[in-house]
Parts: sequence; C-alpha cells; structure tokens
Amino acid sequence: MSTFLLDWLAAIPVFAAPFLLATTGLIINERAGVLNLGVEGIMSVGAVASVIAMLEGGSVAWAVGAAALAGVLLTALFAVLVVVLRIEQVLAGLVTFALGIGISGYVGDGYANQAIAGIDPLPARFFAWLPGPLARVADQDVLTYLALILAVVVWLVLARTEFGLRLRAVGEDAPAADAAGVDVFGMRILAVLAGGLLCGLAGAHLALASSQVWIEDMVSGRGWIAVALVTFSRWHPLRAIGAAMLFGAVEAVIPRLLSSGAHVPVYLIEMTPYLATIIVLAGSRALGKGADDQPRDLGRPFLREERR
Amino acid sequence: MAGFRILLAPRLEVSHRMRAATLAAGVAAGLAISALFLVLVGVPLGDLWSEVVLYTFTDPSGLDQTITRAIPLILVGLSVAVVLRVRFWNIGVEGQAWMGALATTAVSLYAIGPMPLHLPLMFAGAALAGAFWCGLCAWARLRLKADEVITTLLLNYVAYYLTQHLLYGAWRNPNDSYPTSPDFAPGETLPGIGFGHVHAGLLIALAAVGFCWWLCSASRIGLMARAIANNPVAARAVGIPVERVVLLVAMLAGALSGLAGFSLVAGTEHRLTQFIGQDYIFPSIVIAYLGRSHPLGVLVAAFAIAGLYTAGDSLKAFYQLPGAVVLTVEAMLLLTVTAFDFFLRYRVSVLRAARPAVSS
Repeated sequence: MSTFLLDWLAAIPVFAAPFLLATTGLIINERAGVLNLGVEGIMSVGAVASVIAMLEGGSVAWAVGAAALAGVLLTALFAVLVVVLRIEQVLAGLVTFALGIGISGYVGDGYANQAIAGIDPLPARFFAWLPGPLARVADQDVLTYLALILAVVVWLVLARTEFGLRLRAVGEDAPAADAAGVDVFGMRILAVLAGGLLCGLAGAHLALASSQVWIEDMVSGRGWIAVALVTFSRWHPLRAIGAAMLFGAVEAVIPRLLSSGAHVPVYLIEMTPYLATIIVLAGSRALGKGADDQPRDLGRPFLREERR
Repeated sequence: MAGFRILLAPRLEVSHRMRAATLAAGVAAGLAISALFLVLVGVPLGDLWSEVVLYTFTDPSGLDQTITRAIPLILVGLSVAVVLRVRFWNIGVEGQAWMGALATTAVSLYAIGPMPLHLPLMFAGAALAGAFWCGLCAWARLRLKADEVITTLLLNYVAYYLTQHLLYGAWRNPNDSYPTSPDFAPGETLPGIGFGHVHAGLLIALAAVGFCWWLCSASRIGLMARAIANNPVAARAVGIPVERVVLLVAMLAGALSGLAGFSLVAGTEHRLTQFIGQDYIFPSIVIAYLGRSHPLGVLVAAFAIAGLYTAGDSLKAFYQLPGAVVLTVEAMLLLTVTAFDFFLRYRVSVLRAARPAVSS
C-alpha cells in the first residue's frame, strides 16, 4: 500500500501542472475583468504546436516556444473580439474555444498518434540529498517546476507591485481606474495575452510531459476545469497551487485504481472534482465568504463613451 | 504627430431592416471565408455546391440525415435561446440532455407504469429531469449568487459521468459486452413519420418552436421576461417577480434540453448509448445566437447547422477532411456574425484631432 501511495504522490504534480498553468493564466485574465472561456481551445493549439515542433525536428525549447506563441496568437483574436469589438465575453470565449479545437484538429491531423521524445524528469541526482520518498516526489520535469514558479511570481506581481494594483483596479472598477489614469484597454489586452501564453504552456505540458503524443481532443475538458478552478481558488494564485494539486490527485489516482483491479466506482470518483467545485462555488457564497473575491467588473466591457 | 481618434457612439435605435442586413452580411461573410478555406485545402468549388450543398438539403438521403440531426439541435437551440432572453447563459444543454436520456431509459428499464403509458412517461420524465438540472443552476444563481456560466457547465460533467457509471454498471445490457442499455421495447420508441429515419421527435421539436413563440411573444411570462432583459432593476421596481420568472424560464430551458435527450434515446438510438449527448454545447449557442434568440430563427438556424454536419460527413468521406472542419466553420460563422454586430451596436466615426501645431 505504501508503494501505491508513493507512486500516486509522485504522479500528482505532472497531472496538476497543466491545471496550474491554465488556472494561473486565467486568474490574470479575470483579475483584469476578462472572462476567457476559450482556454480549452487555447490549450489545444498549444499542445498541437508543441508536438508539431518536436516532430519537425525541433528541440524541447522550440516546442515550448511554439506552444506559447500559438497560445498568444489565438488569444490575440479573443482580445480583439472582447476588448476592441466588445463582443460579449462568454460568446467570444466560446468562439475561441471552437476555433482552437477546430484548428488544432485540422492542423494536427497529419501528426496524430506519433510518439515524441517529450520532457523527462530532471536527473535524479539533483534530489539525492533529500530523504528517499521525498526525492522521488520532488523529481519532476522543468515545466512542472516552471508552473509552480509562475504561480508564485504572478501572485507576487498581482499582490505586491504597483503594476498588479493597476491590473486589479481595471478588473474591479474599470471606470474608476480609467479616471485614475490607468490605460484600461492596454491593461486588459496585456492581461489577456499573458493569460493566453500560460494556457498555451499548459497545452505544451500536456503534450510534452504527460502524454508525449498528439491525439485529437486530448485536452478533453481540462480547460473547462481550469475555468472552474479559478473560482475554486477564489482568484488567488497561491490557492490555485493547492486546487490544481487536488484535481491532479483525483486524475492521478484513477489509472492506479483501475490497474490495481480493485472494484471502485471510477466514474463517480471522476465526478467528485466537478461536484466539489460546485459546492465550493455555492457554499462560499452561502457562508458569506468569498463573495467579495470575484473581481467586480468581471465580464463587463468598458467604453469611455458609456461611462456610468 | 497628427493624431486621429476613433469615436464609438452606442446606437440607441436600430431598424429591423438594418438588423436583418447585418445578420445576412455576417452569415455571408462566414460562409464565404469557410468556402474559401475549403477550396484552398482542395475541395473544388463546383463539388462544394453539388456534393455538399445540394446533397445536404435536396437529396433524399442527405435531407433525411439533416432533418434527423436537426431534431435535437432545434430543442437545445431553443433551450439556450429562451433563457438567454432573461440574460441567463445556459452552457449546460449536454448535461440536461443526459439527464433527459437517463429518465427516458429508466422508464423502460424499470418498467414504470403500464406499457401504453411508457412513451408519455418518458416524455414527462425527460422534461422534468432536464428542468431539475437547469433549475438547480438558476436557484444557485438567485439564492447563492453562483455564476450560472460555471454551474451549468460543470453539471454537464456530473451528468456525463453519472451516465457512464450506470452504463458500465447497473444499466449495462447483460447480453453483450458493450456499455449500452438493453434495447427498448417496440412500443417504447418514437414512430417514424414515413420519411427515412425521421421520427416523431420532429413533431415534438416543431411543437416546442410553436410553444416558445407563443411564450415569448404573447404570454404574460414572455412580456415579463422582456422587461427583465431590458432592465432587471426597473422590472423589480414595477412589481415583476424577477426571481420566479428567471427560475421558471430556466426550468423550461432545461426541459427542452431534456426532451432533446429523450428524442435521441427514444427516437434515434432506441437504447441509451455512451456518446449520444455529446457535441451539443457549442452548436446550441451558435443556433441560439444565429437565430437571434427567436424561436423561428432557431428553427432555421438549427436546420442549417444540422446541414453543416451532414456536409461535414460528406467532406470526411470524399476528401478525408477531419471532422474538426465542421466546428471551425461553426466558429467562423459565429465569429463573423458577432463581429458584424459591432457595427449594429456602435456608430463608428474617425475624428481627426485638430491639434494646433505647436513648435516645441
């Protein structure tokens, strides 16, 4: 049983990292007042871009760069739709989602089901100084560590810098921020693009570290979970680390339970993260906690000519 | 630097003619871009017309496929459209359809009620199950301020996994190894209407269009819904029971999606299968939006989108194009239509800044 537990714990970060990258990206978006429902599509183009880069002879660094670029490019379209054309954010997000899935399905058609080298965990000797089980859990790949570092950096920037304060002001009260001299448009576009970059990286992690192959629809709902995780972690990047680990833990335990041959209701276990998110979403409001965490201007377009 | 400024003025009133022209222009632009894309990847323009468009909408077997596919699409499109009228996003049509399919199957599996009543019971059960699933989200929004975009979305997964749990467990057909329910009895399926595979679900869908039309344009609830959509605060101030109307319309929306699940199980598959409720979320939004949330518009849009899927099958068969093409075309349509709407909502004017030349 203890090897089961250790295997499980060591597998959690790989499953959690795509959630963490995407959730951190979405937190940047939503803190600036933009709800991006296109994540699933953005992760998908990120994943396919990294696999194509690998199969065309690129290195891992190229693959990660390609994923980030693909994420930013698709998100740029979303940014134009919501920030410039002021299309309703839910609608624009869904368009981005469908375009991303459609484009990656089309472009990736010739690259599907071909194994790639991908990213391996860091050399074990880096962690030799840690006690046995801990060294095992700590031995992850570079992208997973990058996800953790980015979450902390985003938290620091949002909570501790003037830039972060301006960004949050845009999300809380865009007209007031505008009056105070903050460039609402610029800030929102920047936040959306930064979020898209992280979502692209989330796709790269899925393809390079977890599956090491491109399969159509391989993101399979993880982007939507990330949307929910933002609410679950109440728009806080550090809480997002815990939330992503929790969801990663559920995802990591299922193949292990199945291979152990134990009779467990797998599908009911897979359901729990979604139920947990709903309960947290509804419960935190019911208890009066977290009601104020949601950025007040989330989803609201800003137009100076329409100033309230 | 001689600057210029782009000024956006929200339009207060827009004529019907302008609305129609903008929608037509948006759809035309989307179709043109999609056709251009298909021609670029190697589909000859002539074939696009004869093998795709004509086959889909005029050939008996193509039309059969299109109409059969349109039945659930009409219902889920209506589901999103009616509740969008009270500014409620229903991103959960799949979950509601799954719940409807589960209720339908339960009636057959557990032989609830006398046999002749099975179909009506399935109908009612599916509507109730869908209404419950969407009503939960409406209740959570009204009482707990939980965003319905997230809750309706998440309940899709809960319903999906519940279905898989049953299909791999208690509801599995004992006679074969596939995760499907046992076949329904002959009296438990929707009869055909004498045209290919098209079944009586079409009549249900058309009746739903008629009902929603009456509801939106002539009923008290429709009138109150319009007031709520225009200004919820003012609606409350004049004594409209805003919460009750939103909850009621949301439950109606859920019932419509539940019936989509019913039509798929009792009309098309004649048993519960693993993937019937999938790939409806985005089409439902596209249909509601292209149909301008009007029941008749939804009917036309659902038929067109169903045709797109038939066309996608032809493209897949003749040109080995992946199924993702259909999704891309749908996204392109929604993209161009929403982008054109920008000019409907704002009057755009470019101001040349008449800045006096200051020498520095």
